[in-house]
Amino acid sequence: MNSEVNVTEKDSDKTIVELKHVEKYYGELHALKDINLQVKKGEVVVLIGPSGSGKSTLCRTINRLESINSGEILIEGKKLPEGGAELAGLRAEIGMVFQSFNLFAHKSILDNVCMGPVDVLHRPKEEVKKEAMELLKRVGVDSQAQKMPAQLSGGQQQRAAIARSLAMHPKVMLFDEPTSALDPEMIQEVLDVMIELANEGMTMIVVTHEMNFARRVADRVVFMADGAIVEENTPEEFFTAPKSERAKEFLESINRH
Amino acid sequence: MTISELLSQYGEKYIQALLTTWQLTALSFAGALVIGIIITVMRVCPIKPLRIFGDLYVQIFRNIPGASLLIVLVYALPNLNIILSYYQCVLTATTMIPAAFCSEYLMSGIDAIGIGQIEAARSLGMTFGTMMRKVVIPQAVRFSVLPMTNLLIATMLTTSLASQVPLNPKDLTGLVSYINTRDVGGVTSFLISSIMYCGTAVIIGQIGSFIDKKVRIIR
Repeated sequence: MNSEVNVTEKDSDKTIVELKHVEKYYGELHALKDINLQVKKGEVVVLIGPSGSGKSTLCRTINRLESINSGEILIEGKKLPEGGAELAGLRAEIGMVFQSFNLFAHKSILDNVCMGPVDVLHRPKEEVKKEAMELLKRVGVDSQAQKMPAQLSGGQQQRAAIARSLAMHPKVMLFDEPTSALDPEMIQEVLDVMIELANEGMTMIVVTHEMNFARRVADRVVFMADGAIVEENTPEEFFTAPKSERAKEFLESINRH
Repeated sequence: MTISELLSQYGEKYIQALLTTWQLTALSFAGALVIGIIITVMRVCPIKPLRIFGDLYVQIFRNIPGASLLIVLVYALPNLNIILSYYQCVLTATTMIPAAFCSEYLMSGIDAIGIGQIEAARSLGMTFGTMMRKVVIPQAVRFSVLPMTNLLIATMLTTSLASQVPLNPKDLTGLVSYINTRDVGGVTSFLISSIMYCGTAVIIGQIGSFIDKKVRIIR
């Protein structure tokens, strides 16, 4: 699958997320080095790279869970606010799925999905509940709606967390290693939900170690090492003929086991 | 004096004293919860001066002896033209100190929630206030039911400070010292009040563990 074909299929050139010369330091550590990245509407961009390469940090800067030291992050052309109600309002439009699910432990699965629309967007509860049930059905955990998060398996929790994000009708969804904390037999059920989302045209930025997923779903693979973007390519080319030495080494180290 | 002699002579006063102790305890604890929650929100809020104020409050009132605070309230406040009744002085002391402990218990409850849920709340676009009301405080309170139960008992015991000022009607400890200045009540007069303290503590403890089982978050 060619990425350009994909973009025209999804018929948009609208840039949703843009990073310009983003730099971030953790004390002495130069965590992000001159990051430039554009994500268009409907695109699925997969960030891969060795651990500590900055891919999670990069993902988390996009809704400012991590601040940056310099550079610019634009969401639909508008600069990401630094704080306050403006930032909260923008975060409401960006979905985020975490490695450790992070469902609210004191609320049922259904309430978890309803909370954003009701408490942030102030939509009527009954209407939201109906939609939440539909979303839970879509990710296949509707039968668990009344249970508490801890009563669900990891895979079910992660699918519920995806539904919670979807309930906000996000413009873009960030996935920060969504399957890394899952038992192997549960990874596929979460990936299936993500694949479905991608096919429906959701704009997605995904940090993952699931190379098959990247190969199958990504429009573009962004390879990072030591805080910098080393290579950006179509999945086909990246996995068969990587340009950079670092990417070659990385792919070899994965294929070894 | 024997127990029956004490009861026949002072029985009514004991009941009155128990009710006074209960009243002081209930008012102090309710006040401590409200102040404790406010102080805790200050301590985790994004505004630095408020955070410093909250920490300072806890450091001061966690570390001041109750009797010293009461003396300050009774003797020093009038210098600032603030004149409280003895009852109000006792109530202030028995509220301010437990409020500091209340905040400490809530803070450890907040620690137990974990950064992940906080980040999830922020990612959904919750403001600080919404996140506090909907995610943080409800869970912190659930996590701290048992320590709060202990705090309620400790607050009750702290109300014995009331014995240090002239109050009418008296609290349980105040009554014991009243009896012993008039009669030879001896250890027996204290025994009756301590049974009342212990009985109350046992009831509080039972209710506390009942509530804890009800609201505990399955993890």
